[in-house]
Amino acid sequence: MSHDVRKWLVRVVVVGYLGALVGLPVGFLFDKALASGLHAFWLEVTKPDALAALRLSAEVAVVAVPVNTVVGIAAAVLLARRKFFGSRALTTLFDVPVAVSPIIIGVALVLAYSRIGWFGAWLTTHGVKILFSPVGIAMATMAVSLPYVLRSVLPVLEEVGRDQEQAARTLGAGGLRIFFQVTLPAIRWGVLYGVTLTIARTLGEFGAVLIVSGNISGRTQTLPIYIFDSWDQNYDFLGAFAGALVLATISIVALVILSTLRSRERKLHVDLA
Amino acid sequence: MSISLSHLTKRYGSNVVVDDVSVEIPEGSLTAVLGPSGSGKSTLLKLISGLETLDQGRVVIEGDDVTNVDPRHRDIGFCFQHYAPFRHMTVSRNIAFGLRVRKQPRDVIAAKVAELLALVKLENKANAYPAQLSGGERQRMALARALAIEPRVLLLDEPFGALDALVRTELRQWVKELHQQIKVTTVLVTHDQGEAMEVADQLLIMHQGRIEQDGHPTDIYERPATEFVQGFLGPTTIFKGSAVRPHALELEGPGAGAIEGAVTSIVELGFEVQVTVLLSDGSMPWVQLSRNEYAALGVGVGSRISIRERD
Repeated sequence: MSHDVRKWLVRVVVVGYLGALVGLPVGFLFDKALASGLHAFWLEVTKPDALAALRLSAEVAVVAVPVNTVVGIAAAVLLARRKFFGSRALTTLFDVPVAVSPIIIGVALVLAYSRIGWFGAWLTTHGVKILFSPVGIAMATMAVSLPYVLRSVLPVLEEVGRDQEQAARTLGAGGLRIFFQVTLPAIRWGVLYGVTLTIARTLGEFGAVLIVSGNISGRTQTLPIYIFDSWDQNYDFLGAFAGALVLATISIVALVILSTLRSRERKLHVDLA
Repeated sequence: MSISLSHLTKRYGSNVVVDDVSVEIPEGSLTAVLGPSGSGKSTLLKLISGLETLDQGRVVIEGDDVTNVDPRHRDIGFCFQHYAPFRHMTVSRNIAFGLRVRKQPRDVIAAKVAELLALVKLENKANAYPAQLSGGERQRMALARALAIEPRVLLLDEPFGALDALVRTELRQWVKELHQQIKVTTVLVTHDQGEAMEVADQLLIMHQGRIEQDGHPTDIYERPATEFVQGFLGPTTIFKGSAVRPHALELEGPGAGAIEGAVTSIVELGFEVQVTVLLSDGSMPWVQLSRNEYAALGVGVGSRISIRERD
């Protein structure tokens, strides 16, 4: 086989594979959601239950993404800059929520916080309600999107090394200044990448949230659960397609923004060899 | 004395990297810490700067005991082996960093940065990013950044290690001139004895975490205190049972009354020629000759020859 033929074959296989798994399904989604026209689509996404779901998803993301970003960066700095007893175990602990099925996270949260659980009884007597409430949904979401920032930032931190931070220190800079003026700019792409993945996972989480939310339409339904409900319980296919299209668009836009920023940055600063 | 180190010791686990080092570094000197890799020389530099914490000993800079002072308050200019530029800042911003930390007024910072850019000849790169600089330019930027805070001592870790040969020679000379100009006490770490001999006015030879010898480069070269120092500073050969410099030997035709032997190999290296001689006791010293001396001698492999130490 000539080199050219092989090159084309590889391309066809890769494009075909991506097309079958990603391109075609998403394409169909767009087609079906907009098949009855933009007006019908608009009516679907502005239904009260759909809007409530969209709002709850947004609220959860507004809490979960910043918290997990701060926790992820702090843990990455700690793990990369200080080797301590148990640091390996800590890294592994961060991975547990994505290593196990989300259903397990949901079930475990229910076990811990229901009335029969370890904290549940105490919390119930003190009037704190975690299950079947936005608080529980936020907790489940934070759990399943826990490691993304850490995992994106840690290798960047290790690659960048400590030299710049030490140089800043000998020049008189304190810890906060070093973090904000030296460390954070050096790891910013890792952070952005991790945040993008966290947003995608936060908006998309289904299994863990389904278990802890109780699936009360209009109150504890996030967008993915609303889509599932429309599809499976109400046979409202247009509603499901419309919701799915909104969800897919948000994620695709986030990825496009990230890659555009990144390529522009590359043009400005060629990486140091 | 500008830097006074007493009984510095640093261990990593059971491995003693710096072993009870005591030394005085004179004010305004350019001192080279010379040693093979793993001799503890870079660690010694980090101990002076405070970037590594020491297990024992004291560091005194210009009379102040800074042993327990954080590196940010030691007023030290530190240049890293790979320069550690702040990659997301322009050259000017890099140089201004220490001044901004010190909350200097804007116009003072601007004037100081302009002055330093001129000093390190990077005026036309003020707004470039480190990625757009050559290795030598990055090194000069790192020097300017360290000098901006007017440090009491300047510490350079393998300053020329990452540069190609031509730039390295140029930059060595430049650093030497720069030091004569600004006279700040400078300690540089290197594993290259040629570099150390050329640049420094003081040498510290380190080996296995200890200082083997310190003093003026020429004195150390001529009167090495230990076999290690002698071997490390230049080539040696064994003549009459002791190590000597190969250029301290000379060759003459046979019958000159000295020890005789036969030439076993000749290596011509441009101006230098290395002649190895087999003596009757079985030893094989080699002699370093200039091309002219070699031509005047007129020998080939197998020739009988006599060998002795130069007067």
